[in-house]
Amino acid sequence: MSSQPRLWTTFTEPLIRQNPVTLQILGICSALAVTTSVATALTMSASLTAVLVMSAGIISVIRNHIPSSIRLIVQIVIVASLVIVIDQLLQAYLFEISQRLSVFVSLITTNCLVLGRTESFARHNPPGRAMIDALGNGLGYSLVLILIGSLRELFGAGTLLDWQLLPTVDQGGWFTPLNLMLLAPSGFFLLGGLVWAIRSLLPEQVEAGEFTPPETGEDGA
Amino acid sequence: MTRGLWDREMVAMLLLLALMPMALTWLWFGGAEAVGRLLFVLLISGLWHVIFMLARAQPPSFAGALTGLAVAMLAPQELSLLQLVLGISFGSVMAELIFGGWGRNVLNPATVTIAFLGFGFPAAPWPDFALPVAWAAIPALALGMLLGVMSARLIAGALAVILIAWLADLPIAPVLPAFGVVLALLVTDPVTSASTRTGGWLNGALYGALVTLFAFGWGHGAPVQVAVSAALLASLAAPLLDEIAIALWTARRRRRHG
Repeated sequence: MSSQPRLWTTFTEPLIRQNPVTLQILGICSALAVTTSVATALTMSASLTAVLVMSAGIISVIRNHIPSSIRLIVQIVIVASLVIVIDQLLQAYLFEISQRLSVFVSLITTNCLVLGRTESFARHNPPGRAMIDALGNGLGYSLVLILIGSLRELFGAGTLLDWQLLPTVDQGGWFTPLNLMLLAPSGFFLLGGLVWAIRSLLPEQVEAGEFTPPETGEDGA
Repeated sequence: MTRGLWDREMVAMLLLLALMPMALTWLWFGGAEAVGRLLFVLLISGLWHVIFMLARAQPPSFAGALTGLAVAMLAPQELSLLQLVLGISFGSVMAELIFGGWGRNVLNPATVTIAFLGFGFPAAPWPDFALPVAWAAIPALALGMLLGVMSARLIAGALAVILIAWLADLPIAPVLPAFGVVLALLVTDPVTSASTRTGGWLNGALYGALVTLFAFGWGHGAPVQVAVSAALLASLAAPLLDEIAIALWTARRRRRHG
């Protein structure tokens, strides 16, 4: 296995260069839904990373015993069990935040990111490496979520983690909250802008065009 | 695309010319405040055009002035300069410039700017028009049709639906001025309205129907807000309407020629 990349690369690659959200566009649904505040984004990131790392470890341990024909069922059973545990833990210790996250923690089961990593990586790699890859991907996802969550909370309510950073007009300050930031469309805008920014900095991430436009004979074309 | 006289700037200039009656009436009644607002909007949107010209070699267009005029006339009042800058930047960059400039955009940048400001700052009051400005929409639309830069089918479709609503005694009278102004400024934009013949009828009719629906069912919607939201949805649906028109045409051809 000399061609295997180093463990450190396995860990750092998914943070930005192979980021699951901005490059592979996985896990968008939850990334849009839970980023209205930093607190929910943090909780969701932690839950997803925990589920991802544990399921990658478990599936990697039994990877040679899973019959290929039922592997998806086995993977989903493992992921779903872990999600239920995490969900119960949140409801026990962080009840208020679990109410705000509503169904999105249970929906980690169907998050493409989790199944994508277990299916494409954990099934072919030893537990240590699989868990490090999972941790890298979970942190890459968390990075995007926390960034977008901070932007939306800061400009939508003037707060960060419920700590008033920009005094709003209602409280006698100067900042008029941008209500749009708390609505779903702004999640799309910010995520799109982030993908644009990253691909401008790392042009190798830009996808190949689906077709080449015909010559129009315009000036400068 | 250039064909004889017709290139992109020609269309933009003729559109500007067609809108002149309405723009001048609005400036006349708005006074210095309206002039200042228009200049400020033009400055910001012009700045973005120059940035994209330098960064991506995209030729700037007179159509920026169309966007500026529409935003200055229709955007909510009493916004701070910073909020206005934010909205205009978002609208011109996200709705127009990143697609490659005027002619390649999917949505009208002015519609996006106004909708962004309206939904982003719901407390800001919407503008109200002096009646002559709304009347001036009629010569503007007529001029646009005559010069061939606005779709006559679209306008006819919109007017037909509004006429039916009027005859059916629906309460649309308060939104009529905003309906006319928004029709001339946003809906008839040749880039983002439907481009097939049937599509034009459908697009106009959809705009008219949405205005009627919102006037009827949107409890506290201001007239301009109602009309701009209808314009946004109608231009989102425009590609679909074109697709329907093309599908109908293909089906008819197939039935006739096997």
